[in-house]
Amino acid sequence: MQTSADLLLLLIALTELVVLGVSRLSTCIRAIAWQGLFLGLLPIALSGWGSAHVFFLAGGTIVVKAVVLPRLLRWAMREAKVRREVEPLIGYLGSLLLGVLALGVAFAVAQRLPAVESNDLLIPVALASVMIGLVVLITRAKAISQVVGYLILENGVFLFGLTQTSRVPFLIEIGVLLDVFVGAFIMGIVVFHINREFDSISSAQLTELRES
Amino acid sequence: MNTPLLSLALVLVMAPLLPGLAFRTRALLTGRRGAPAWQLYADLWKLARRGAVYSTTTTWIFRFAPVAVFATTVAAALLVPLDGRNAVLRFGGDAVAFASVLALGRFALVLGALDTGSSFEGMGASRDVTFASIVEFGLLLTFSALAVATGELSLTGMFGAPLAEHAGALTAPLTLLALGLFALMLAECARIPVDDPATHLELTMVHEVMVLDHGGPDLAFILYANALKFALFSTLVFGLVVPRARWSAPASAAGLAAGLLASAVAVGVVESLTARLRMAKVPLYVFGSAALGGVALILLLR
Amino acid sequence: MTMWPVFGGLGIIALGGVLAVAGRRAAWGERALTWCVWLGGFTAALPAVQVLVTGETLEWRTAVNLPGGDWVFGLDPLSSVFLLAILVVSAAATPYGVTYLARERGHLGVWFSHAALVALIIALGLVVMARAVVPFLGAWEIMAITSYLLIVTEHDRTEVRRAGLLYLVVTHAGTLALFVMFAIWSGAGNDWTFKALAAATPHLSHGTSLIFALATFGFGLKAGAVPGHFWLPPAHAAAPSHVSAMMSGVVIKTGIYGLLRVVMLAGGAPAWWGWTVLAMGAASAVLGVLWALAQHDIKRLLAYHSVENIGIILLGIATGALGSTYGHPALAVLGYAAAAMHTFNHALFKSVLFFGAGAVSHATGTRNLEEMGGLAKQMPLLALTFVVGAAAIIGVPPLNGFVSEWLVFQGLWGAGIAGGAVRVAVLAVPLLALSGGLALACFAKVVGVVFLGTPRSDRTRGVGEAPAGLLAPTAALAAACAVLGLLPALVLPALLRVGAQVASQPAGASAVTLVDVVRDAGRVSLFAAFIVMMLGVAWGARALVLRRRVVRRAPTWTCGYELITPRMQYTASSFATPLLDIFSRLTGVQTYRGATLLHTVSRDPVLDGTLAPLWTKGRDWALRLRAIQHGRLRFYLLYVVVALLFVLAYVVLWPV
Repeated sequence: MQTSADLLLLLIALTELVVLGVSRLSTCIRAIAWQGLFLGLLPIALSGWGSAHVFFLAGGTIVVKAVVLPRLLRWAMREAKVRREVEPLIGYLGSLLLGVLALGVAFAVAQRLPAVESNDLLIPVALASVMIGLVVLITRAKAISQVVGYLILENGVFLFGLTQTSRVPFLIEIGVLLDVFVGAFIMGIVVFHINREFDSISSAQLTELRES
Repeated sequence: MNTPLLSLALVLVMAPLLPGLAFRTRALLTGRRGAPAWQLYADLWKLARRGAVYSTTTTWIFRFAPVAVFATTVAAALLVPLDGRNAVLRFGGDAVAFASVLALGRFALVLGALDTGSSFEGMGASRDVTFASIVEFGLLLTFSALAVATGELSLTGMFGAPLAEHAGALTAPLTLLALGLFALMLAECARIPVDDPATHLELTMVHEVMVLDHGGPDLAFILYANALKFALFSTLVFGLVVPRARWSAPASAAGLAAGLLASAVAVGVVESLTARLRMAKVPLYVFGSAALGGVALILLLR
Repeated sequence: MTMWPVFGGLGIIALGGVLAVAGRRAAWGERALTWCVWLGGFTAALPAVQVLVTGETLEWRTAVNLPGGDWVFGLDPLSSVFLLAILVVSAAATPYGVTYLARERGHLGVWFSHAALVALIIALGLVVMARAVVPFLGAWEIMAITSYLLIVTEHDRTEVRRAGLLYLVVTHAGTLALFVMFAIWSGAGNDWTFKALAAATPHLSHGTSLIFALATFGFGLKAGAVPGHFWLPPAHAAAPSHVSAMMSGVVIKTGIYGLLRVVMLAGGAPAWWGWTVLAMGAASAVLGVLWALAQHDIKRLLAYHSVENIGIILLGIATGALGSTYGHPALAVLGYAAAAMHTFNHALFKSVLFFGAGAVSHATGTRNLEEMGGLAKQMPLLALTFVVGAAAIIGVPPLNGFVSEWLVFQGLWGAGIAGGAVRVAVLAVPLLALSGGLALACFAKVVGVVFLGTPRSDRTRGVGEAPAGLLAPTAALAAACAVLGLLPALVLPALLRVGAQVASQPAGASAVTLVDVVRDAGRVSLFAAFIVMMLGVAWGARALVLRRRVVRRAPTWTCGYELITPRMQYTASSFATPLLDIFSRLTGVQTYRGATLLHTVSRDPVLDGTLAPLWTKGRDWALRLRAIQHGRLRFYLLYVVVALLFVLAYVVLWPV
């Protein structure tokens, strides 16, 4: 089981690198959906087909993070008619480099933290996720990318939480539910923003400029 | 029985099958019939019997380039542990020699392209060196990760018995390295999504446009060398996925043949599924492939 | 053997300088100079070779009634390898310089330039042999001044004078750091021999960190390691080509020599130094070649490549230092040996390239790549030697550049498979590979734009093969590159001895390495021989096949377009632009895309981007201070009184 947990954690890290490296928003959203799926499977892999709690956690995570939120994001993308990120503050190559660097730093730092969990990839990947999420939040301009960045950050925190599953399972479940709330909250803000932007540059208004 | 030499012979003979098989797979998957898989053998035979036309602009460098590409690729084949255990020639740090000798071939080919004075070939040369320099970064990153993983400095160690010993404990990094190396292979061997060997528009070419002026036996040398390079990289990727150090000699040879064919089919599948990248996106793709190796190296250095 | 053949050899070289001055109006003066440099070089090389083969060290001491104690000169493996590089490059540069400057005889003091070259050769020899601070710094200063005089040979041009001034300022800033370093190191003692320094090392009050910081500044500036590289491109471009070869091949290497000597005398470096040098090396290797790619002036381009190669050498030194620090003596030996070998190899192939570039600019009257093209047809032999030099510098077998880069790679990988923190050094490997790939791109550009294709301007019209005086030294060094590439085992044991000496390991320790490089060197030879054989076989097969076939000549295939002109060829700018775009943040290149022309302008991020603005700002601040210098005497008296009060206050408040 340890190996599959390792692989899942690596895949989570890789999806983050994908988000850093691509400009097309639909690919970003797909990556974040995959990440949600891997994240959902992770508690099962970590505990080795554990209790009902674990399955509830996994199911909840997958539904929220791999299905609901990506669908919401895709809907928002359609509404706003944005398909690509504009040229970010740091280029895609630079972001990618920063991502790998973040991973390296996370591994270096994690070695010095007190070990709390048997799986030694968990903490570094969690740290890296938080850092990469911040990178995305800071460097990307489009609201949807920012939500994606926020989700990565959030997933990092979730990974930290997983180190505590055996001790405080209930807390984690609450956390998942909190995600739904926060997700909806963020989406509300985003869609509001996009609507405002959208109205001001809508083609309907542009037609009013012509001479009649 | 000298299995490294026999495997070398097998690879040298099978190499031209690979591009054909990749094309065939792609054709079948996209609903066409396509040329037979052994088309390249026929092409090579046809070209070898032809004469040559040399541009009045060119010098000896142009004539020397195909020879150099061929010779260096064959020399690179000596260093790869083709039978899964031993290379024909091994020494510490031969992984650098592998990359460098291929670089020599590329240097000659690029100079040959510039020798024609054609703007198209200059364009191809410029693109090729651009992408190749990043591929070299990724390739040596991969080799470094393998060196750290196995404690060996030669390709024979990195892909041979020491790898097989460690493979069980290193599933995650080796998976990353195999993926990264496969992606780098697509770039190095000029396949989709970096370059389309089947395109007919010069402006979109990378590798093909550099050999526009070569014909006859010269072109045969280049085509064969490309196929051989494809086979060598396939062997490396396959060696990461299926370490064959403990297999018996016949099984290993059969495994090699199967691995080469599987790699060609895999490339064909990838080519039918993905689109060609824009030129400006290629460096990102290659760096992304290298990043897989980078993550693996971080995991190993932990 | 004693030191006398070395002194005798240097004496003969000095005699050559005297003869060149004496016979400046006749042809025999310059011929005598060449012969004297060859003869003197040969004589001086004998003990150096012997020291490298046997590992014994020579020393010569004389009591001098001056402050600073005895003057000591010596020859050990480390000195010998640098001395040999100096002598080999000098032996080629002298006849080259004679031919190169021949047509300037009318309006320049060519004899003066020859005399300065001789002084430079002798000073270089003394720098690497000095075993006491005073003769070392003396020779160092003579070296700096003679190279300044040589850089400004063509002092009638403004940019040459500017480059010379920049060099003079920078070299003295470095020398100042060295003065401070030696002063701290020797402390209050009156014995300023290197042996005394080594003995004083354990008693340094603040450890060796300050020494190493100053050495890195002083010697790093001389070596041209990023960020101290900025003086190097203008100076190398301004100098006549044989001087550029000397500068790039051996003068900047004295910085490397200094670092190695300091490491040796201090008996190892602190950990931070190893990592700093590793970072500097990786940065120089990648940035040097990136900046080189952006150049259109062939000699500036080659100068930036010196930065790259200094980076590779520094990676070797860093491997050595880290190996010592983290307790892997074998790694230390390997790293220092790799650095020494690359130093020597770089002296060879960079001289080939500067000589080749000089011959081209000598013939065409321009150093601008964009005005060249198609010269391989007019100068076929020069093109061949230049291609060999280019293949050597990009580090491909079967040439010597590959061998030393292979050693550096081995060292870094060796660090990667050793235990502990030193493993992180393996991260430099892909960067070194990247710099190799970029170097390939860069030299494809240089060879392609200078020698291949069709002429891009009228400058190349009527150009013929380079004169023998330029071609022969170039070809001889290119041949040396090939020999060392094919038979590295010839020199490897001697270089491992150098490595062992720098790492303060017993001579036998060189055999105990993580990787058996001596055995492997034989296999590298085998591999190189196979490549050469394969090239021959394939060439023969091709010739055999084509003998019975129709071979025609026709214009280049233009993809159906009729009106192809040379202006449509890829230019140096357009060839490099895709690569430079990827790394646009690091290169400092501005690209102008016109309708018919793409043009790039490069700025050095350190000189033009940082130092020049700082200088301007500093000058502006300084100018404001001029307000207090108004010429009224009583106010000056007031200043004196104020200053005196300050001093008194200081003494009263902080009594000594």
